[in-house]
Amino acid sequence: MEKENKAWLDVLKIAMPLCLSYIPIGLACGILLHTSGFNILLTGLVSILVFSGGAQFLLASMLAIHAPMLQVLIMLLFLELRYALLSASLSPYLRKEPLGFLIYFASSMNDENYAINYLKFATDKKWNGHKAVMVNHYSLLFWTVSNMVGSTIGNLIHFNVSIVNFTLAALFGYMLVMQIKNWLSVLVSLGSGILAVILMLLLKSTMGLVIATLVASFAGFLVEHALEGKKKPFLLTSIRLRRRGQMKGMAKEDDQD
Amino acid sequence: MSTTKDYIILIILAALVAFTPRVIPLLYFSKRQIPKWFDEWMKYIPAALFTALIAKDVFITSKSTYNFDNQPEIISTIIVFFVAAKTKSMGVTVVAGLISILTLAYLF
Repeated sequence: MEKENKAWLDVLKIAMPLCLSYIPIGLACGILLHTSGFNILLTGLVSILVFSGGAQFLLASMLAIHAPMLQVLIMLLFLELRYALLSASLSPYLRKEPLGFLIYFASSMNDENYAINYLKFATDKKWNGHKAVMVNHYSLLFWTVSNMVGSTIGNLIHFNVSIVNFTLAALFGYMLVMQIKNWLSVLVSLGSGILAVILMLLLKSTMGLVIATLVASFAGFLVEHALEGKKKPFLLTSIRLRRRGQMKGMAKEDDQD
Repeated sequence: MSTTKDYIILIILAALVAFTPRVIPLLYFSKRQIPKWFDEWMKYIPAALFTALIAKDVFITSKSTYNFDNQPEIISTIIVFFVAAKTKSMGVTVVAGLISILTLAYLF
């Protein structure tokens, strides 16, 4: 029992930087969900079941403009599609686990606990599915409680929604910067942004976001293919954002591919 | 959508939409290799998607018209990029973004 006790504490220490960073974001998300009509219990429910900052912010902001449900769900699907990549890359480490465990693990995985688990699986031989799911639990707990507290604060004080809404852009901005690997990814992202604005003005709908995302990412894929085999193509030169020797906290790891 | 029942239906559907892309690759690829072309295409999806979403937040109004004169959000977004690249911390980035938007919204 002694050993078991120590394991949960060790994992908690590893998950702590992530858990703490969930507090301000969870609070903001809870406030925004409150303004879109979610009460505390619904906020708790969505935090546990969906468990994705980006998805919950998107839900709140699309409900606020009374977007039709199908469109909300399509946008969510595109937002969540990136998890396919994340869970595919974790799959080699979870080969021995039973089906039920895999389903349970998938339901509690998100960007940040993925980053921790991927790094630990790749570097720590003693890391296993049991510890990985513990990281998921801790992050889920902090996320849900912060959201519910945010929902309560939103109930008591009135906030300027457009300013709280910027939390979403900041969150996406962070996730975008973490995705920048080389000059081609900068170009893909610029292209996608410009295309998104043009298409949304033309189509008057968030479908523009979907098309821009697919076209820009596919263009990036084609360009990368065309450049393969060439000697040191400039576009594929990697951009190192992290300064060497500055690696505090694993939540900041950007090895996502 | 206004009643609690509608919200619960939406939450359950949203949960399914969130859950499916996470579980299928985990089940499928725990037995097989990931096809290379799929992997190469998918790796550009996040960067493209996040920029599209940011561009929508900053430049498109809720009435589907453009607003290129949104200095507080434009400047704050640039600050967010710098802080994210420098600190690599999600919490610090979001807090910095909020402080910046609050200050700039007050100044402009």
